[in-house]
Amino acid sequence: MKTLTVFLGLCLVFVFVWERVDVVRIGYQIERLKRDKTVLERQRDELRVKFSTLSASDRIAKLATEKLGMSLPQQGQIIVVQSRPRPSGVHPSGIALVELKVARNDLPSGRF
Amino acid sequence: MAGSLSRGRRYVLLLLLLCGFGVVLFRLVTLQVLQAAVLSAQADRQHQKTVSLEGARGTIVDRHGKILAMNVEVPSVFGVPNTVDSPLKTARQLSPILHVRTDELERKLRQDRRFVWLARKLDPEQGRRLDRLSLDGIGVVMEGRRFYPKGPLLAHVLGFSGMDGEGLEGVEHRYEPYLHGEKRMMVLQRDALGHTVFPKGMMERSPTPGHSLTLTIDEVIQYIVERELEDAVGRARAKSGTMIVLDPKTGAVLAMAVSPRFDPNAVSALSRDRWRNRALTDTYEPGSTMKAMMAAAAIEERVVRPNTMVFGENGHMMVANTVIHDHERLGWVSFAQVIQKSSNIGAVKTGMALGEQRLYRYLQAFGFGQRTEIDLPGEGAGLVSNPRDWGRRSIASISIGQEIGVTPLQMVSAVAALANGGVLMKPYVVSEIRDAEGQILKQIPPQTRRRIVSPETARSVTKILEGVVTDGTGGKAAIPGFRVAGKTGTAQQIDGDTKTYSTSRFVASFAGYVPSDIPRLAMIVIIDEPQDKKASGGSVAAPVFSRVGEQVLSYLGVPSDAPITLAMASRR
Repeated sequence: MKTLTVFLGLCLVFVFVWERVDVVRIGYQIERLKRDKTVLERQRDELRVKFSTLSASDRIAKLATEKLGMSLPQQGQIIVVQSRPRPSGVHPSGIALVELKVARNDLPSGRF
Repeated sequence: MAGSLSRGRRYVLLLLLLCGFGVVLFRLVTLQVLQAAVLSAQADRQHQKTVSLEGARGTIVDRHGKILAMNVEVPSVFGVPNTVDSPLKTARQLSPILHVRTDELERKLRQDRRFVWLARKLDPEQGRRLDRLSLDGIGVVMEGRRFYPKGPLLAHVLGFSGMDGEGLEGVEHRYEPYLHGEKRMMVLQRDALGHTVFPKGMMERSPTPGHSLTLTIDEVIQYIVERELEDAVGRARAKSGTMIVLDPKTGAVLAMAVSPRFDPNAVSALSRDRWRNRALTDTYEPGSTMKAMMAAAAIEERVVRPNTMVFGENGHMMVANTVIHDHERLGWVSFAQVIQKSSNIGAVKTGMALGEQRLYRYLQAFGFGQRTEIDLPGEGAGLVSNPRDWGRRSIASISIGQEIGVTPLQMVSAVAALANGGVLMKPYVVSEIRDAEGQILKQIPPQTRRRIVSPETARSVTKILEGVVTDGTGGKAAIPGFRVAGKTGTAQQIDGDTKTYSTSRFVASFAGYVPSDIPRLAMIVIIDEPQDKKASGGSVAAPVFSRVGEQVLSYLGVPSDAPITLAMASRR
């Protein structure tokens, strides 16, 4: 009986010590993860700024015109038309029917 | 006897002990209770050093969430001079990394101070190199640095912030209470010898970031506006240029540009003149663009109708001992033609028929002479004097946009009111405020100021202004496939020396809206002092309106509302 009591007492001490050690270990782990999180957040912010800088409209336009040989459309070359499907729905071909508000005779031949 | 002596000695001893304990107790109470606060603070001062650091400043994004300004945590380096063994050696090691001269660093490290900044807001790579050095008495702390990733884009609206993170101009200044993060006091512990013990977690992020702002500005529209405006100012060799694009239904500012531009990432060397937002601080005499508002007032008050015939006096008319000229000799013309041909004489006659009080009342109703209350700092109120202070010629002058000072923002707001069926909206640039987690704290809805004219009057004026573009002075503002309404303006500036109107310095402008039946954009273009003496609002500003309008309508996917003709398509 006495031996059992001592054994149980030792077990309790062992569990207590184990628990304390584990708490300390997890504490260190949390601290390390917090530091990692901070570093990653900082990297994320740096990347966001970099992405925003690289995706600036003037930079893209410059690359498009100077490196890729593109050019801005001239006046009159862009025509936005309103897509308005007929009441019966979409054309059997699957192409939405559109109503052109452009006087067709006025369109330059061979350009559209 | 001996026992009584012994007892007496015991009493004396007890008394002495009690006195001793009493003194100790008294001192204890004095130190721990009565002087506790003072002594505690004194102790803190001796073994602690507090440094103030700002929290991360909130991000500013455009209406589609594109980042226009944001903070990135970058390293700042400080020294604790009394813990640096060899200031010269340390300075030599730091100099190539910090790009600061060795003698300057050494001087700082020899100062009799407990804390000194060596370099602030460095690049992240510089911080990593410093970490690898691990020098005694040198510490690195993270601070927020403001980045404007789009460079000069929208700089006059965004403004900029100072070294300590406080907003100094533009949106940065106006929304400072929302944008700034919480201040963090960093405590450095010192030991008994005064050596600084760097606390744990010094490289941790600043606490509680500021709120983020969503602007009404569209980055793509802003880019188109700035590119076209810079191009026009350059071609006209003008002093400066201003352009504003509003959504006439809401008053939301879609773009606001001033030329020449500046880069808010490197603002320290620039003068205030360079970063002032002229679109809302500067006043100018609007000239003929004012005729659009005068026409609205006259039609609303039934003084004229679009088809009322007005005699153009063959180009000359005397008013208060001054000759009013027209650039074209006109006879009998309709009131619509008066506006389309930009006849000064017709406008003066109409203004005089309207009368001083009614004209003044409408000027006020359109918002001239008072701030629009846009959410940007430094807005000017313009100059509209009371009729009791007007001279004999004033009504004639004001009818053609002279003797009156307006800001570009006031003028575009007034034009937007005509586009909006006669209802004046309050212009604004911030639509949402969000916290650091992205939750909306505040939404700023469009605000109606007042109805100025009836929808019928607004429609009549729109028809007249369409004629300005199809048959009048604003032909170059035409956009293929769209009906455009607008008015040109070419206003002479006052010569500072002669106090008379200069014959060489003038402001060319065009203000209008498109598509005119269901307007999506209200825009004003102002080119200040073009070098070409023959330049006018119709020749310099109207083409900018056209180019910007076409690209922005295409970007927004607005379908054409008018036939495209070959002549228009090949206009350029």
